Amino acid sequence: MNNTFNINRFGLLLRRQWLDFGKIYLLSLIVVFGVLVGFYVTNIPKPSDGLPSMDDGFISLRFRYPIFGMVGFLFISILASSYFTNLGQKPKAIIDLMTPASVFEKFLAGVFYTTILGIGSYLFIFYITDLVFCKYLNNTFSAFPPVHIGKNSAATLVKARLLNSEMNFEQYRGFACVPVMVTSMFLLGSVYFNRFHYIKTAVSVFIACSIIGYVIYLCVSKMGENMVKITDSGNNEQLAFTIIFVSSAVISIFFWVITYVRLKEKEI
Amino acid sequence: MASEKKLVKNLEVIKIQHTLVYYLTNTVDMIKINNLNFGYSKHKPLFKNMSMQLSNGHIYGLLGKNGAGKSSLLKNMAGLVYAQSGTLDVMGFNPAKRQPALLEQICFIPEEFYLPSVKISAYIKANAPFYKNFNHQYFGNLLKEFDIPVSQKLINMSYGQKKKVIIAFGLATQAKLIIMDEPTNGLDIPSKAQFRKIMASAMTDDRCIIISTHQVRDLDNLIDTVIMLDENDVALKASVQEITEKLTFKKVKEVDDSIIYAEPSLSGYNAVMPNYHQEESKLDMELLFNAILAEKIKFKPLFN
Amino acid sequence: MEFRDNKAIYLQIAEYVCEHILLGKWKADEKVPSVRELAVELEVNPNTIMRTYELLQNKNIINNKRGIGFFVAENAIEGVKSYKKVQFMDDELPVVFRNIYLLNIGFDELKTKYETFVKENFNA
Repeated sequence: MNNTFNINRFGLLLRRQWLDFGKIYLLSLIVVFGVLVGFYVTNIPKPSDGLPSMDDGFISLRFRYPIFGMVGFLFISILASSYFTNLGQKPKAIIDLMTPASVFEKFLAGVFYTTILGIGSYLFIFYITDLVFCKYLNNTFSAFPPVHIGKNSAATLVKARLLNSEMNFEQYRGFACVPVMVTSMFLLGSVYFNRFHYIKTAVSVFIACSIIGYVIYLCVSKMGENMVKITDSGNNEQLAFTIIFVSSAVISIFFWVITYVRLKEKEI
Repeated sequence: MASEKKLVKNLEVIKIQHTLVYYLTNTVDMIKINNLNFGYSKHKPLFKNMSMQLSNGHIYGLLGKNGAGKSSLLKNMAGLVYAQSGTLDVMGFNPAKRQPALLEQICFIPEEFYLPSVKISAYIKANAPFYKNFNHQYFGNLLKEFDIPVSQKLINMSYGQKKKVIIAFGLATQAKLIIMDEPTNGLDIPSKAQFRKIMASAMTDDRCIIISTHQVRDLDNLIDTVIMLDENDVALKASVQEITEKLTFKKVKEVDDSIIYAEPSLSGYNAVMPNYHQEESKLDMELLFNAILAEKIKFKPLFN
Repeated sequence: MEFRDNKAIYLQIAEYVCEHILLGKWKADEKVPSVRELAVELEVNPNTIMRTYELLQNKNIINNKRGIGFFVAENAIEGVKSYKKVQFMDDELPVVFRNIYLLNIGFDELKTKYETFVKENFNA
């Protein structure tokens, strides 16, 4: 018997964890869906208000950016910080720890539910919501007469564009690992703290970020004291994205390793 | 009675021929504890250099005062807490590694536990497949014996009912090591009798059963070996047979020098004394417990 | 079955088995309950029952047919009687003797008492 990883047993574990975690997950998903719908309903332009404001020839839906980020952050962080909460309560923890699966499998199940399923389903839900509302806007405003711009009277239709194509995610590929990093941090928080996982993790992260930020600021300003700025901004952006990508990936892996170790050493 | 018969019959089928096995199986040390040091903080050790062997074919009764470390010892065996030093060997594994191969051979019934709010069938579907020897029919029989309706949701059950479900589940996994922390807590009087019947039938020669309890009277006929914890160590580990060979428990009118320990009762005293005349008295576990706490030094030479 | 306080459980169970044999509930050459069945019924450790059965085997009250189980011995009743006789002589008689001595009861008086008792109860 392989005592580290067995795909069959891992499958069983995912199914077992669903019994407990599935409820939290589905409930949060419904809440997130409701929140998104709420924001869209209150923020999309109404035909009764006349012509909506436009961006690049499309209906302006700028409220989506902060919503996408904020709700997404809350959803994946709450989900991740509730995954191992059972371990903070003795009666629940004993049954979980005694389940015949390896520590590695239990850890992987956590990563699967929080990172893969959490982020994946959020993107999916957001996409669907966005799609439905854009379709709706397109339908409602297709009845509007074509807008004439200048003397050329080039007709432009009032159309909504998906956030997905508006934002051009390709450009922000560097941030791909940031949500993963968020889930890994909160997953660690859920196994590290016994109670009030979310608040404690959030506060720890905030303090850590502040300290790191301050240290980096100090270093950079010390090192750059007598330097002359020579780089041009174009290159800089590419480099910054790479740094963000690599560092968030490294931090995620770092947090996962600690989570695994904590899980291994968890005592009840 | 009918379901009891069925239970017995089923077990006979499942467990090969019991009587045969009695003579064929060898006892091995399933749990080997060597110089175990354990404590929740460095300054307050709970166990100091504890050593002990437990073998299959026994129901061990783990006794001790509150805070003597009964639950902690059980948790050490199950790998839920880690020793500071010393070794612990459970069926050839180190429980601290929490390997699935060992976990599927341990049935751990904690005093406090939690079950998700689903139907029993859903719980079984999610958890039973981890145990390759899980016996669904046996589980069904145990539930019947315990008068638990299968279709009921776990959340609507009382503590006692949930406990019965978790005991039934644990036994149905056919685990070799059964660890129970205060299993009769929360069970009503008829349930306690059902529990004793079930444990009597669950005790097979390939199994090692360890039960911690402070309600000795619930279980004293089930236990065949007494383990008493006191002052960071095992104060006594002896089979009921050994104890009653060395000690005799009886009612006396007056206390004299031969008596190690006595407690006043309605008609004189309940006393413990060395068994000079090979009397075959019934072990009074509660009296023994109090006697050892009070007169530890006097018992030491008898059991070493 | 109610266990008393004063005697080892395995001996009390032996008495229980003997009683069944004497009363004819379990007849010669019949199978007695398996160790497990009796353990479940009496809510005791199977090892205790095993000890009882070993004792009764030594007293030729039951015998073990390997792989099948325990059976009431052919002349079990004799076995029970001699076992019980030893027990009575060792355990109960001393108490009676002690009282006879302390209360100064004569053997003649005892004899007549005994004979009327037998007549009244057993019509012998």
